[in-house]
Amino acid sequence: MRDARDAEDNRLLESGEIDLLLAGWTETIVARCVSKMRGPVGHDVAQVVCLRLWRELKDGKHRDGRWPFRVIVHKVIGFICAGWYEKGWSELELIEIDGPTADDFTGDVELQLTLEEFVASLPPGDGEVAQLWLLEGLEYDQIGARLDKKPNALYQARSRINQRLREWLES
Amino acid sequence: MKATPEHLLDELVDRWAQGAPLDVDELLVRAGPRSDELASLIDAFLQRAPRREPTREALAFVRSLDEPSLLVARQERRLKLDDLVAGLVERLRLPAGASKKVRRYYQQLELGQLDPAGVAASVWIALADLLGRDAKGLAAVPLPAPAAAPMFRVADANTSLFDMVSLSAAAERFEGAESRAPEEPDEVDRLFGVDPSD
Repeated sequence: MRDARDAEDNRLLESGEIDLLLAGWTETIVARCVSKMRGPVGHDVAQVVCLRLWRELKDGKHRDGRWPFRVIVHKVIGFICAGWYEKGWSELELIEIDGPTADDFTGDVELQLTLEEFVASLPPGDGEVAQLWLLEGLEYDQIGARLDKKPNALYQARSRINQRLREWLES
Repeated sequence: MKATPEHLLDELVDRWAQGAPLDVDELLVRAGPRSDELASLIDAFLQRAPRREPTREALAFVRSLDEPSLLVARQERRLKLDDLVAGLVERLRLPAGASKKVRRYYQQLELGQLDPAGVAASVWIALADLLGRDAKGLAAVPLPAPAAAPMFRVADANTSLFDMVSLSAAAERFEGAESRAPEEPDEVDRLFGVDPSD
């Protein structure tokens, strides 16, 4: 499943707006690197990930749309985090993403799992709340007003969604 | 009392949904002994969540990646930060215990956060040796590091990740290491032209 951002990423790639493309991913990159590395060293790793991706984009890689750019981002994060403490490892020796073995490229990147898919899997009432909360970024009060839900009902819906979300993330 | 990973994940998701800074470092610290559990949940969430709109600061950061810099020179030599710091400590004949401070100051220099004019000649000589080129010329072109990029914040809402003073301070708090309030300049401060009382 490709999420709505994949199409926007492809558009930015095709139009050569690679700075905007990578800038849109930097927060995810930093946050994932910090969580994977379990602390501040993650910021160093994130810097290397950004530089690596920037160089590849500047070299014209990844423009064939074979993989959503998010898959490439997550793969590079995984690769660099995994190798960071290995003796003799260099982040420059990255797998050849566009090479002949690219069919196996996604590896541990869960291409099919997106937040949109999660929201779509929820029962209608909770799905509406999750759509407004997770995908449209509305705040608690705004969601209540939009769906005409009382605070208590909204609170219960959020609790159910949170529980389902954690189960989904751990699955 | 430490918050549970479940509550902290909910907090992260809220921040993410509302476009607020994620501050993963701070959440991990708050998770205490359950930080691994929280980190796994956060990682899984971010791997599945769509990206957000780029900020002006993030765009400035990405564009700065084209600038000739100490970072690029280090990358070209395939030197990790810790390797370079170890090389500096050795060449400057500093005690091994100075590594943490050297690392912090070097990062500030690399990211344009430290005035290269105050850095001692012996540091430039050591860097030139390690990087194979005139390092001072590279440091003179500071990265236009984002002033307050949300994704680079540590724990203080008014600082950025690329403000490595804050980053290092957070790391030191996290590890419970190093002195809390350095007063007198030591050899490392002198070499990097830093007045710790500032």
